[in-house]
Amino acid sequence: MSPHTDDVALSTTAERAAVVQAAGAQPDKDWVIVTRGLKREYDMGGEIVRALRGVDLAIRRNEYVAIMGPSGSGKSTFMNLIGCLDTPNAGEYWLSGELVSQKNDDELARVRNKEIGFVFQTFNLLPRASALHNVELPLVYAGIGSAERKERAMEALTKVQLDNRATHRPNELSGGQRQRVAIARALVNRPSILLADEPTGNLDSTTSEEIMKVFENLAETGQTVIMVTHEPDIAAHARRVVVLRDGLIASDERKENFTSKLGL
Amino acid sequence: MRKILARIAMALEGVTIAFDAIRGNKVRAALTISGVAVGVFVVVAMAAAVHGIRESFQKDLDEFGATTFQINRRDPSSPCNGPDDCPDRKNPPVTLDELHAIQALPEVAFAVARIGNQTTMIYRDHQLKGVGYDAYTTDWIRTDRADISPGRSFTEGENQSAAQVVIVNDTLKSQLFGDSDPIGKELTMEGKPFTVIGVFHTKAGFLKTLSGTGPDNPRAIVPMMTAWRHLSVYKRGINVAVMPQPSVTRDEAMDAVTATLRSRRGIKPGAKNSFYLVGEDRILDLFNQFFGTIFLVGLTLSGVGLLVGGVGVVAIMMISVTERTREIGVRKALGATAGIILWQFLVEAATLTTLGAGIGLIIGAILAELVNIYTPIPASIPIEAIVVSLIAAAGTGILFGMMPAARAARMDPVEALRHE
Repeated sequence: MSPHTDDVALSTTAERAAVVQAAGAQPDKDWVIVTRGLKREYDMGGEIVRALRGVDLAIRRNEYVAIMGPSGSGKSTFMNLIGCLDTPNAGEYWLSGELVSQKNDDELARVRNKEIGFVFQTFNLLPRASALHNVELPLVYAGIGSAERKERAMEALTKVQLDNRATHRPNELSGGQRQRVAIARALVNRPSILLADEPTGNLDSTTSEEIMKVFENLAETGQTVIMVTHEPDIAAHARRVVVLRDGLIASDERKENFTSKLGL
Repeated sequence: MRKILARIAMALEGVTIAFDAIRGNKVRAALTISGVAVGVFVVVAMAAAVHGIRESFQKDLDEFGATTFQINRRDPSSPCNGPDDCPDRKNPPVTLDELHAIQALPEVAFAVARIGNQTTMIYRDHQLKGVGYDAYTTDWIRTDRADISPGRSFTEGENQSAAQVVIVNDTLKSQLFGDSDPIGKELTMEGKPFTVIGVFHTKAGFLKTLSGTGPDNPRAIVPMMTAWRHLSVYKRGINVAVMPQPSVTRDEAMDAVTATLRSRRGIKPGAKNSFYLVGEDRILDLFNQFFGTIFLVGLTLSGVGLLVGGVGVVAIMMISVTERTREIGVRKALGATAGIILWQFLVEAATLTTLGAGIGLIIGAILAELVNIYTPIPASIPIEAIVVSLIAAAGTGILFGMMPAARAARMDPVEALRHE
């Protein structure tokens, strides 16, 4: 495969290695995520816990990546850093060609609003707000006027086939519907990456498949999707699987290799 | 611009959230709100009473015209404590000659002399004790007090000849004459017959009600010279109401009157006046001084109420912030900055206290209305009191909401999202 095809969905190992090793250099915008030597340590009452010990990772636009690892592997910490909810102790994090590892809290809030769409295991919808209002929320923080907000939120709900549930509150929706509302909320501000944390952890297997379908469709239409999960059959939906162990990347493989390894 | 829009949207969201929180925890919210409500209620009720009394007071004074002033023998505002205490006890009374000289001044439209007293009035077998009457000079008809029907006032001729005529008010009329027409009938004062020539109508006023001269009390008016000659009035107690010409300010008219009286009385330059001119503002000043003190006490009380409410706000907001830790995490993940979160919770706190103030205002208004109906105090809530209490309540919310709101704003999104 030529490294210069129009299809940027999959990056080659050589390309990734090149971009990761060029410390300090601003990567091309097509590299949505580039981390170089990312470290995160916690001070737990005098004892230093090294959750991430230098993670190098490059993800190209349109990739559909699963991040796996056992508990304590540092995958939650890594997700928090990728999602700009936390800042590293050392290393670089470039998001869409922008160095975000040096930004302050307010700038990070703006980056989260603009660049990242979160999908959580427990949905995290505001219980007293309608589906439409939940989806509108990122646009409120983006300072978008009411009329445009409603229109775009409705559009996002239509994408997940919930336009007929717009006025319902979360407790009037099923688990799968709630997660689809959350996906609509994540997508409404057209983020660079959709970042999902155990998106099917609270769903039964049928509903899980349904949500995975939504993710697959999004990936096919060009949305970069990063999904953190510990379930191999969920990770199997991604086209690339990164496995973390003890705060380092243990493996980073294309789906074909991975599934064959797991025997799926 | 975008930032401002976001702030406004968030403010509205904050108000909605506040109402949700109130609905979710009715008892807790009620306790918080009631502190503020009581504080506002106290200050509003007091303001209503003071404001109403003052307005009515002003109306009483305005009956003689807004620029009217009085010529008194003594200072009405300084009470005497013993015979040596007040040198103005020795002041001479205002004489009728002086009145004529003042009436002749070009700055003066008219001047009315008055002496008051009370006596027993008899008509056939009806006898009323202690009925108040005013002896006026003829020009009284030009003041706002005059409102006669049926009948007429007395003429200057009747005044000069000390004609034994009397004008009664509605209450005196019905108490002495019942439903029959009083005009032309004779009533007896101090054993002398007086012919009723008219009926006047006393307007309601708080001061009048307090001093027993309101519309519910019988009252009569007689000509000045008639009282002078036929009735036992305290002649040194005469006072004069002076109405300046429309083109002349009250101060100019006061200066002219002062000059006239000083020269007539031969007061040397530098010596004190042997009379007192009292303008309406002076009387209002005294009033304000007195009620200002009462108002200050009320303000302190409501300050305590707001403080209690404020502490309640801290408590309910702290609980609210803890309960909604996860929500705060979600909002931050979706792009809310610390400033936006702070703003949202401040709006929520201000909504709580403003709601309390609203409730306090409503209860205060109801009480004011009840006072209006069942007491002589004409309570009315001044607009300023409404605006000030709403602003003070919102300010309290923002001030006391600052601590919990800052806690919410400072929350680490990772920790907040992990919160169960």
